[in-house]
Amino acid sequence: MSTLLEVSGLSRSFGSVQAVNGIEFSVGEGRCVALLGPNGAGKTTTIRMLAGLLKPTSGAIKYAGQSERADVREGIGYLPQSPAFYPWMTGLEFAVYAGKLCGLGGREAGRSAGEWLERVGLKDAAKRKIGGYSGGMKQRLGLAQALIHRPKLLIMDEPVSALDPVGRREVLELIRELKRETTVLFSTHVLHDAEELCEDIIIINKGDIALQGSLEGIRNSYRKPIIELTMEPDEGSSRWARELVASVAAGQGGSNPLLADAMLQGNELRLSVREMEEARSHLLRSIVDNEVKLVRLQAGYSTLEDLFMKVVRI
Amino acid sequence: MNDELAISKLIPIIAPFLVIQLILMVIAITLCIKAEATRGPKPMWILIIIFVNIVGPVAFLIAGRRNER
Amino acid sequence: MSKGGKKGGTSRYGALLGKEMLELARSMKLVWVPLVFVALGIMQPVSIYYMPLILEHGGNLPEGTVIEMPMPLPSEVMSGTLSQFGVIGILVLVLVYMGVVSGERSSGTASLILVKPVSIMAYLGSKLTAMLLLALLSLLCGYLAAWYYTDLLIGKFAFGEFLGSFLLYGLWLAFAMAATLLFSTILRSSAGAAACVLVLLALLSIAANLAPHFAGWLPGALNSYAAQAANSTIEYTDVFVWVIVCTVLLIAGAYALSCTLLRNSATID
Repeated sequence: MSTLLEVSGLSRSFGSVQAVNGIEFSVGEGRCVALLGPNGAGKTTTIRMLAGLLKPTSGAIKYAGQSERADVREGIGYLPQSPAFYPWMTGLEFAVYAGKLCGLGGREAGRSAGEWLERVGLKDAAKRKIGGYSGGMKQRLGLAQALIHRPKLLIMDEPVSALDPVGRREVLELIRELKRETTVLFSTHVLHDAEELCEDIIIINKGDIALQGSLEGIRNSYRKPIIELTMEPDEGSSRWARELVASVAAGQGGSNPLLADAMLQGNELRLSVREMEEARSHLLRSIVDNEVKLVRLQAGYSTLEDLFMKVVRI
Repeated sequence: MNDELAISKLIPIIAPFLVIQLILMVIAITLCIKAEATRGPKPMWILIIIFVNIVGPVAFLIAGRRNER
Repeated sequence: MSKGGKKGGTSRYGALLGKEMLELARSMKLVWVPLVFVALGIMQPVSIYYMPLILEHGGNLPEGTVIEMPMPLPSEVMSGTLSQFGVIGILVLVLVYMGVVSGERSSGTASLILVKPVSIMAYLGSKLTAMLLLALLSLLCGYLAAWYYTDLLIGKFAFGEFLGSFLLYGLWLAFAMAATLLFSTILRSSAGAAACVLVLLALLSIAANLAPHFAGWLPGALNSYAAQAANSTIEYTDVFVWVIVCTVLLIAGAYALSCTLLRNSATID
């Protein structure tokens, strides 16, 4: 796997606010990469720097196989969060215009625009004014105009977050198809979208990279056994749960070698355990001894969601 | 006699202004009706376009529409 | 941020200009802005010709008063038309184009266009070209209308004088458009850009009128040179050449500065 994009020490500040703080990552050719993080983590700032719309305060963005003088924009397709088109143009006119701006000849731009509009499902709306398009249609037109010159890298900023469930599904399916043909990098705050589409994820939080790697690798190496408990909302059970959480928090493993982390939400208790067998039998004994009114007990493994929440909370 | 002369002489002079006003009015009203968002209510603009000669349509064409660019 | 191949560069400029012209046509600006100039152009000769009649009917004059007003020369009417263009005409053009760059940047369309491999010179160049085309077309239509009515009502006006004053005044309008492009690139607010341009143009004209010796080589002097050309009494001094050279350089400078500012601005959109 060769590297298509290499980012090193990329920083950007707005006044005294450090939006992106020296992040480093690389994107392999043919991969689908998600830039994942909560709102305000610096995703959009990073994406805009990659697309050349925002100058980094410091750091470098290198595209492989591009000489110093060549225009990196030749190889990039970019879709902003909510693309703004000229409302007086038709979808077809804008796609043709985008093609011409990418250096395609008139006839080639027309052919390519027709093909892409068909692929994104806008064939019937191609001759209508963009002013009358729905959000999902604009997003799909945005994809068509970004891909018109067959870029090596497709960069998207929150491609589905502004869409209703139907539009969201349509665009996700399109991206799933497109990622077979080109390298894709997109930002999202929804872990589920990243899990569904991507091979690699980069989790950023407050301008720093919290975690990055292949989805499989992260899933395996951060997979932890957990036990989830649900109790009845009576006083005795709650007290037992609170004491358990307190002992884990106080001891940090010293006094409680079995539990790494405990979290209480209402009547649900989530426990990260170090060793499943021992922890489970210890817990069950404790439950019986303290007469806790158990509703449900489940043993399993932590999901990416747990990891994401944990990483982002720091 | 003198008045009749004046009016018959005035007609060819006023005609081009009327034609210009008419064209501007048609353009402005068409764009006003088609516009997604106007600054201020559309009926107000349409009245201005119709009743304020030349300046009315021009005012709408310059300042009447939001985010048309 | 290189321009790419030369051929690619020009064809992209062509595509950008094509979009600008299509927008002028779709928004009907290509029709209504020249029409405003035509109205202004007709207004001047007509109002001068009918001034006695208007006064007779509108004014509270005693019965039987005969108004004797010397009919002005055709050249005076034509130069009067130019000063009409200089106030309302320029106001309309500047207001039409005040958001030429800032509008696209704030709506976010600029970010769609400028991530494509197009040069900023071609992007702004296409806009300036469209601005100049609309301004000169409007001036031509309006000035031709004024010529026709002056000829009809007042008297003959020679072609040479028409052409000379048209070209000089066209250069002044071109300068106004280049200034609009520059301020629309500098300022995020289009109203602010329009205000700056109008103040700049007013200052230049006033300076050229008040202190012709100091400010006579600045674009503001084009106003009076165009009027002189209409009166065929132009003083072809050294300064006259300098006004033209200086204005052309300032137009090129405003364009180059706009390109540099946009290229070096922290955010393109």
